[in-house]
Amino acid sequence: MATKRTIEMPVESIESMTLNMGPQHPSTHGVLRVVLHLDGEVVERAICHLGYLHRAKEKHAEHKTYHQFIPYTDRMDYLAPMSNNTGYVMAVEKALGLEVTQRCVYLRTLLCELARISGHLLWLGTGALELGAMTVFLWSFTQREKIYDIFEWICGARFTVSYMRVGGMSREDYPEWRRMVREFLDQYMAAHREFETMLNGNEIFLSRVVDVGTINGKDALQLGLTGPALRGSGINYDARKHTPYLAYEEFDWEVAVEDRGDCMARYLVRMKEMEESWKIACQALEALEKTQNERCNIDNPKIIFPPKENVKRSMEDLIHHFLLASEGFKVPPAEVYQAIEGPKGELGFFLVSDGGPKAYRLGVRSPSFINLQGLEKMSIGYTISDVVAIIASLDPVMGEVDR
Amino acid sequence: MEMISDVYRGFRSLLKGMGVTIRHFFRKPVTVEYPRERAVVSKVQRNAIVLIEKDDIGSHNCIACLQCEKICPSNCISITGSRKDGLAFKRPDTFDLNFALCSECGLCLDVCPTDTLGYSKQYDKAGYSREDFFYDLLDQWKATEETALGTLREIERKKKEEREARRKADAEAKAKAKENDDGDEKA
Repeated sequence: MATKRTIEMPVESIESMTLNMGPQHPSTHGVLRVVLHLDGEVVERAICHLGYLHRAKEKHAEHKTYHQFIPYTDRMDYLAPMSNNTGYVMAVEKALGLEVTQRCVYLRTLLCELARISGHLLWLGTGALELGAMTVFLWSFTQREKIYDIFEWICGARFTVSYMRVGGMSREDYPEWRRMVREFLDQYMAAHREFETMLNGNEIFLSRVVDVGTINGKDALQLGLTGPALRGSGINYDARKHTPYLAYEEFDWEVAVEDRGDCMARYLVRMKEMEESWKIACQALEALEKTQNERCNIDNPKIIFPPKENVKRSMEDLIHHFLLASEGFKVPPAEVYQAIEGPKGELGFFLVSDGGPKAYRLGVRSPSFINLQGLEKMSIGYTISDVVAIIASLDPVMGEVDR
Repeated sequence: MEMISDVYRGFRSLLKGMGVTIRHFFRKPVTVEYPRERAVVSKVQRNAIVLIEKDDIGSHNCIACLQCEKICPSNCISITGSRKDGLAFKRPDTFDLNFALCSECGLCLDVCPTDTLGYSKQYDKAGYSREDFFYDLLDQWKATEETALGTLREIERKKKEEREARRKADAEAKAKAKENDDGDEKA
């Protein structure tokens, strides 16, 4: 088992070595650059250098209408674009004071949970790959492909979905698609059990993650960690439970919490979360089937595009359509913060509107960015090879860190 | 002693993993052998945009309203249009798409008032230079443009005639109603 090591240096004047890890390092999940100050092989300091993937998304939001910004949100946490879409449109809806239909809420819940499973599957695959397990990677990608197919068959895109719209969805679901989701959910748990048998008792895997990268609950809270990184340290906080949104209150599920605070705990939390997500998705699908005859989009042509048939017939709808397309809808002056529990942690959108068709300011509280603060605290005293495991257990997505 | 127990545990976990892996030998492959097999894509798949044929015109029905150009978040569409003789609406002269910029968000299809934008079915586009992704959407309609204009003028003329006939009928009906009213008053 890996433990914290202290090496007594024979000569006091030996300086620590500085080593660059990244931005092209394969295990830094993209373009993260960590400057490691090393004492032998033991990490003394780990300084993150960010900004290699900065695309000024928040500034873009000030120059695009609310509709136009939706494709940009896809590319923040590109492993779970459905969650980002949901968070953003919910923030705009909150500023508008808009209530979406119950059916739309169920559909969003289902898609968010599928996105969470998909995001965690990628973490599981790449995380295990970085620690030397190739098989799990291939299997988890098999499952991810199925989720991508589900996304493709509902909205037309596999990766960057741009599916949500303010006040509803860009297109409605259909019975064939629901059957597809049902098929996926039916076979998913068997695959999940396989992942668990492959890793939970695997001695090689355990020796890389148990007691590595420990952080206690107090430190985790002070650093502002959220998501599995916080829940792995024994703090029971989940935005889905504590500030309920969408339909999470109606469904029966539990928050996954582990006390140990090491990489193993974060692994267990994520595995448990995937199970819970599966539970929620099953319930959301049932609810969706019960409400299949209801409308999905709200009936407000000032916000959401009216059906094309109406545009051709009615003058009023044509005017609404052209106004929406050329100017966008206006949001009354407001300051709102909407947080959702993304796969990486609390994903918040802070929207300031000055009454125009574009946001005055959009701030994004991206969980990957804030979780990276914990990297130094976690990796001091461990070796370089453990840093790989710690980064994997934090699961940062650089698209979201740099925005 | 501890070492032996470590080896035993490691060996057992190895066998356990192997057991799961071996079961996968007897399953069907999940991959698609791409050049020989084509992947099944969904009907709603988003892709590069094309102008689709409208049955009653025999060509596309773009009216150069520039709505798609305006809503496009990455400014990849550029259209110029002009009013042709005998038509009440515009037709595009150029319709260029810079697919290298396109992010396939589908907003242009949402806003198209005549439903004449659609997605291309070809999903494996590749090119050697940037210019390979500058598409001229009017290219495939150039040959039929003249006949399409003829059809459009015909439709326009018929509509006008109908409109005039209706106006005439309305005016007659009104006049008749007025006569009747006058008659009532006199009586």
